[in-house]
Amino acid sequence: MDRFGLIALVVAAYLAATLAVGLAAGRRASKSVQGYVAGDRDFGLLVMYFVTGASVFSAFAFLGGPGWAYSRGTAAFYILSYGVLGMAPWYAIGPKAAALGRRFGFVTQAQLLTGRFPSRGLSALMAALTLAAFVPYVTIQVAGAGIVIEAVTGGRVPMWAGAAVAYGVVLVYVLASGVSAVGWTNAFQGVFMLAIAWTLGLYLPAKLHGGVGPMFQDILAARPELLSLPGLDNAGNAWTWGAYSTSILVSAIGFTMLPHLFMKAYTAKDDRTIRRTVVLFPTFQLFLIPVFLIGFAGVLFPEAPPQPDMVLPSLILRTELPALVVGLFCAGALSASMSTGDALLHAGASVAVEDGVQPFRKLSDVARRRLMRVLVVAVGGLAYALALAETASLVELLLASYGIVCQFMPAMLAAMYWRRATTAGVAAGLVAGSAVAVFFFLNPALKPLGMHEGILGLIVHLPVLLLVSLAGKRQDPAHVARYVDV
Amino acid sequence: MSFATWSRVAWVYHVLFAFAVTWPGQTLVNAPAPFVLGLPRQMAWIAAWLVGSLFVLWRMDAARGRAERERPGVERSEADVASRAEGPGPERARSRRAPQGGRRG
Repeated sequence: MDRFGLIALVVAAYLAATLAVGLAAGRRASKSVQGYVAGDRDFGLLVMYFVTGASVFSAFAFLGGPGWAYSRGTAAFYILSYGVLGMAPWYAIGPKAAALGRRFGFVTQAQLLTGRFPSRGLSALMAALTLAAFVPYVTIQVAGAGIVIEAVTGGRVPMWAGAAVAYGVVLVYVLASGVSAVGWTNAFQGVFMLAIAWTLGLYLPAKLHGGVGPMFQDILAARPELLSLPGLDNAGNAWTWGAYSTSILVSAIGFTMLPHLFMKAYTAKDDRTIRRTVVLFPTFQLFLIPVFLIGFAGVLFPEAPPQPDMVLPSLILRTELPALVVGLFCAGALSASMSTGDALLHAGASVAVEDGVQPFRKLSDVARRRLMRVLVVAVGGLAYALALAETASLVELLLASYGIVCQFMPAMLAAMYWRRATTAGVAAGLVAGSAVAVFFFLNPALKPLGMHEGILGLIVHLPVLLLVSLAGKRQDPAHVARYVDV
Repeated sequence: MSFATWSRVAWVYHVLFAFAVTWPGQTLVNAPAPFVLGLPRQMAWIAAWLVGSLFVLWRMDAARGRAERERPGVERSEADVASRAEGPGPERARSRRAPQGGRRG
């Protein structure tokens, strides 16, 4: 068998194993919306650990992380810094959201919000913002999968075919098994990509520079600007501290509020599982370190990759690794892409039905499940089409979507903790904050100190929420108590 | 230390963490050399905060476990909240499976 045959075989074996895990996972779940979206609230620690980990180890981390380290140096460290800051508040928020989910039967984030603040408009707004944030996110995962397969097979499997096969597998298991498949495949893929990331993260610096320490010595001598925070921007100029710091804060807040992650609070078996997931989460951030070593290993490599995100595949192909290792690398990268993509597809479809359709037109449990499946295919198809068209500007869109997602934070905290909040206040805050974020995204030159538009949005959002709420009529205390006193 | 104390420590720790890895905290640690375990010092600095976070969260959770063993009522009451039937209102709990909240792993 030739080299590319062996690589293809390893990748095919990985895809088959993922499919088998995904299909097997759904056999126990009940055939209800609750089973499809919240896994009958029965996820244990192992699955929850990898579900949260997979949201960090996406195609962005696996390809974009090394790409950032390679082209922007220490700027990439923001990815290392924010995760734990976003996850730690979950120790308190997670069990509370889960308790409210059990009490009222919630399966999405917006259901909690509109349960406390009854408003169909608010529900539709949350659904629309969630989908606006998810579509570019899924598209990047799909494109990443296709690009990696094309690279490691030397173009024998084109990007469109690679992406179609990988996401064909995702569609089959998400359609069949819902969130149970997402959880169990994430656990399988998680183990896989951690092993690959560590192997390559230590192997490549050793092979190219004789070790991690010598590698950084070499970079410090040749390109010292890459090792000084806050690193470089896209164009290769010095990045600003304002942009670096607010990127960390926005990502941390956005991470806490990511709808597909928030919804996983409803899937946990019990509160202890959620708390232990939070406790163990920093280990996943530490696992990211080798990903950056891979990127730094490419800095002084004589041949530049076609674009920074390709630094990892390009190094893999040029350092003459055995075909088996290349195949495993490809499977690891696919794991990163698919474990994030499947959760997004599933959550996007669930949110669209539960928050975008159900409040306006009551459907039966069976009809909702069917509609969710249709939408999983529709969102997947849309992302696939966008992935083939163009992806460069999507990274920008993805960063912008975090600016919107972090506007969910004041609203969700108000729903769970602030008695005096009102529906009008929350809606006005969300609209004002999102509008400011979008405005500064479109007019980046006007940003004070280069701050992220999400933070600027919050600066407007918080006073609007406070003032409009305090000016309005207090909510019924009995209603409020059911949400705040949990 | 009690759970309440550890909980406060965890809050303070993560607020300090946020300052330590952004402006101006991170500017105090911005020279790559001397390397720590072969890593630039800024990277080791962030990694050290991550390890510290693991420790603080772990101790806080352990303190919570101790408190619950001494006062089993704490854990029980959460389960009761979950499985208690709710009065009239906008609840959508129709499809909820009753024993779920009471099950403990």
